[in-house]
Order: sequence, then C-alpha cells, then structure tokens
Amino acid sequence: MDKKKQFQISFVLSRVLNSGIIMSIEKNEKEINGLEKLVAQITKLSYVSVFNSYTGALHGALNGKDIVHGDFVTLSNTSENEQKFLNWLGVFNLNNNETDAFDRISVSWDNISDFEKVLLNHSTVVVDLTDLGFGPCAVVATDEKSVWEKSERLKIFGAFDLRTMWTQEESHPDIQPGIQFNYRVSPLVAACAKVSLIKRGVAVEN
Amino acid sequence: MRTDFFKKPLDFPSEEMIYENLAYFGGKAILPEDNRKTNFPYITKEDIMQMLISIQHEPNKVIDEFANKYRGYVGANYAIPTASGTSSLHLALVGAGVQPGDEVIIPNFTFIATAQAVVAAKAIPVFTDIDPKTYCMDVTQVEELITSKTKAIMPVHVHGLPADLPQLQEICYKHGIKLVEDASHAHSASIDNKVCGSIGDAAGQSLMADKNFPVGGEGGIAFFKKEEDYNRALEFLDASGIDYRMSWIAAAFGISQLERLPYYDKVRARNAQFLSDALEETDLFIPPYVPEGYRHSYNMYRIKLNPAAKGLEDLEDYKVKEAIQRIIMEEGIFAREWQNRPIPGHLPFKNQKGFGNQYPFSLSEVNRKYKVSDYPQTLDMFRNTLTICRELRSPIEYERIQSYALAFKKIDQNPDMIRKVVEEIGELELPYEKDARLG
Repeated sequence: MDKKKQFQISFVLSRVLNSGIIMSIEKNEKEINGLEKLVAQITKLSYVSVFNSYTGALHGALNGKDIVHGDFVTLSNTSENEQKFLNWLGVFNLNNNETDAFDRISVSWDNISDFEKVLLNHSTVVVDLTDLGFGPCAVVATDEKSVWEKSERLKIFGAFDLRTMWTQEESHPDIQPGIQFNYRVSPLVAACAKVSLIKRGVAVEN
Repeated sequence: MRTDFFKKPLDFPSEEMIYENLAYFGGKAILPEDNRKTNFPYITKEDIMQMLISIQHEPNKVIDEFANKYRGYVGANYAIPTASGTSSLHLALVGAGVQPGDEVIIPNFTFIATAQAVVAAKAIPVFTDIDPKTYCMDVTQVEELITSKTKAIMPVHVHGLPADLPQLQEICYKHGIKLVEDASHAHSASIDNKVCGSIGDAAGQSLMADKNFPVGGEGGIAFFKKEEDYNRALEFLDASGIDYRMSWIAAAFGISQLERLPYYDKVRARNAQFLSDALEETDLFIPPYVPEGYRHSYNMYRIKLNPAAKGLEDLEDYKVKEAIQRIIMEEGIFAREWQNRPIPGHLPFKNQKGFGNQYPFSLSEVNRKYKVSDYPQTLDMFRNTLTICRELRSPIEYERIQSYALAFKKIDQNPDMIRKVVEEIGELELPYEKDARLG
C-alpha cells in the first residue's frame, strides 16, 4: 500500500476510533445514515442507499431502474468483473452508443476532493468507495425516489425491513421484495467512508 | 466521546420481590427503569489495540489471519471470509454443488437469509416444519420432501441449539446429497464436542454485531470440509464477479474478539443454566430443551409457556403470551417475539419474484404455493413462546440474571393477574396474521 493512502487510512481510522466505537445494531444506523446524507450533499442527489460492495450497489441501481433477470441494460466501458456480474444476474448489456442507464464512478484518495465534478447529468449514479481502503463499500445516489425505494428493497434489513420491525406493517406493499441480499455495510466501514468524505483528503486538524 | 458505559450499578435483588405487586399494575419493577439496558458486543481496549496493529498490515493479511484463526477454532478444513452471513450461506451452497433449479430443504423457521441464500444460489427452497421441542428442522419430514432435484439439506441451529445433524447426515448419505449447516446462531455450539460449522459438508455463519461472535459490524464466513467444494466456491466468486469480501476492519475486530469468545461463552452458558434452573421451579415457564451431548450457544433463549399448569387453559394461548409479554416488559425484562411468521409466508416467497421474472422459481417443474398453514408446529410456537435475545447474549452480571429469574417467578405467582390482562386485551390478531417481521 502506498504511504499516502496508508496515512489517510490511519488518520481517518484514528478519528473514528476517537469518536467512540458503537457497534450495536440500533446505534450503528447513525453512521450509515450519516454517510448517506453526506453523499447526497456532495452529489446533489437526494436519495442515497449504501451497500457493502460495488457489485451490491450495481445490483441496487439495476433493481432501482427495474432492470432484472432477463432484461437489457446499457452500460458502456464495463470492466470484465462488471460484465461477469451482469451475466450472473441474467442482465444483458447492450453495450451500444445509447446513454448509459446510470453513471458509475470510483472514489480514491486521488479524486476524493472533487470527484463529483466529472459526474454527468444522470439522475442516478453508483459511487464506489472501496478504493479508499476500508473495505468494500459503495452507494447508489439518485434523485428518483422510486429508484432508492427499489434499491433499499434489495437489502435484507434495508430501510423497509427496519421499518416493519417496529410497525409490524408493510409501509410499501406495492414495492414487494424478491431476492434480497445482505448488502448492509459494517457501520465502522461506513463511519470511515463518512469521515473520509468530510475531510476530502485534507488530513490536518484545524 | 460517545460511550455506552453503564454508570449505575444494579442493586442486589431480593427473593421478596416476587411477592410484590406486578409493575404492570403499579408495583415496583424488578429492574428499575433506568437500569434495563444491556450492551452487546463488549468492546475492550484489546479491540482498539488490535485495530492499531492491523492497520500496519496489508488488508488481505489481516483478513487471512482472522479466517485462519477462526477456522482453526471451529475445526473446519477450509474457510472463506465474507461480508455477511447471507453471502457465506450462498457460498456454502454453491460450494456444495447446488446448481440453478436444484432444490434445497430448509426449515421454515429461521432468519430469512437462510431461504434467500437458496434463491441466491438460483435454487428452490423446500421447507419443513419444526420439531416442537428443539425448534429446529423436523427431521422426520425430510425424506418425504427429497426428490431427484434435491441437492442439499440445510438445517439451521436455531437460537444456537445444534440441529439433529447425526440423523440428517444419515439421510444425506442414503440419498447422496450434501449437508450444509446454517450455523449463524451457533458459534461454539457443538454435538459431542464437534463444533457447528465443521460437521456438515459445508456451512455458512453470520458474524454480524448481534451474533455471539461478532466481527466489526457485519461479516460472515463459509466453511468447507472438502477441497473440491472450497475450490468450487472460489471459482464461483471469480465467474460471477460478485464482491463478497469481508472488510479488514471487521476482520481485525474478529481477531481480538475471538480471544475472548470462550470467556463470553462460559458466562452465557452459566447465565442460561441459572435461568433454566429457576424456570424449572415455576409451573408456567419451560426452559429450552438441550439434548444430551449437545452444547447450546444461547444466541437466543426461547421460553415455552404452559398456561394449563396455572388453570389458564380456557384462554387463547396467544393472548396469554401477549399478556405475559406486557407484564414482564413492565418488570424490565425484554422477553418478546422473535419472528412472527413462517418464512414461506414472507413476501419474497409468496410472490416468488426472485431475481426478476420469477427466476429461479420458474425453473421448478412444481408449481409450489407456500402456505403458512403447512407448518402447524411453527404456528404453535409463535402462539406460546417468548424469546430473550440480547439480554442473555450479553455476558450480564450475576445480579441481572438473578433479576430475570425473579421476574419470571413473580409472574408465576400471579395467574389471576394474567387472566385480568388477557381480558383487558380483548380482540387480538394472531402473530402470524400480522405483516412479517425479520426479527
């Protein structure tokens, strides 16, 4: 690992540890919600859903756009891994010149200060935060509420499942879950991603 | 700095408390309102130190160190650390050779991830009812559910009690199918000293923050007995492109937590035994059943109610349960429902959307309609049991477990008050008629 990255990771982690580590299920929601709010601010997209991997977020964005097994999508310049994952989901990539279904961007310590500048005018973007070095983590950011809702429905213990835990009443029976994965990120990873996006590569205390 | 440190010690409880008025009717609660919370997981300076050590290493080395240490503890031959319990179950099934369109037999009473992992493997879940004594898969139903499509049986060690693996293993040998353990509740649980996760052909296990052995927030691990199954799971990860990797931060916590797991296990077992002994002294409450040679991990502790022993058999059992839940919550003990509906009655199995366009359910030649009424033993369990979760998972202090025991004894003294609360409740929906909760 290069020294710049290791320094940034150490700096962020020490901030997270200093703030008090709380791993209980109820309290950790704050870390994930905090990351979601921050990404919404940066991308100027209102609805954000956090996943425990880039492929999870890719799946979330596809599901959000109602692109499921047997359907077609347009995503250009896909990596070998992305293509494998689409094949596994049973989604056919048209790979043509039409506009992509959504944007994808990877955030690293090299572009963390201004990555949002390169985002196109898409209403939905998958932001991969894995390269920051805390572990697999990515988000779907969108200005379409229905995309967010269907992304969350893909997650075991996503927003809707958590709500039902307390109300014992399905708030959105119209958006029914099918396959669900545990795409929930560790709150510690979420906290590290959040602090990284707050500092945006500036590793000095004021 | 945020802290979850308890600043107020609990007073020593007294046996006299059981003769006081129920808190529900204005009496003094066994546990004071400001001293009912329990912490879990316990995080110590060792966890922080381990993090500071791990940060100096390559992430993959940290994850490998964790996986090797825990694999050795469990006694499994091969392991793949993952991001969640669900992904570990998915990998265990794929490694065991489950292919699209295959059938996997699982119990209907479990966390939804068991069944969703089967669908993630593009297979069809086939559900059994439960054994009413153990709450695990009813082994007597398994053979009649086996078809030419059955590739694996995946029992769940419900709440931490190992399923009847010896019998299931025999069935698997006889029919040439694989035994895959869902060991998500069963860290350190064992049968004849063989630790869950190492007994079947493969196993998946959650390591999330509410499990007896938690890594840093979310995580899981898949175990394999044979190298070919392990390799098949690795090949699947490569071929599918799916990212199921565990975070090194989660793994670092796992390394230090593992050192303390045997200590916490002993405290949990001691506390569970204390409570079970106390419940044996009551008429109304029946503690969990643990067969000879089985070691329960007590991730959860399910208590069966016996209203007839107190002359309450004329009342609806689920109303008695609701009344007792309300009463004991007022005493400061969180005994509640865990799950309220068989998994086949949850939306994803009713609508069978799967990955979309009904896949993989569309691969089945059988038009399977999942109905909760097919699982009468599970429905009975929902009507007449209550569960203690975090409050016993946490290595609580002696005076707290004493207080729990006293609360149950106090309620046992008051059948007339239970009747009164049932009358107050009036009409009530059956637990499994409500929308499904995941926990």
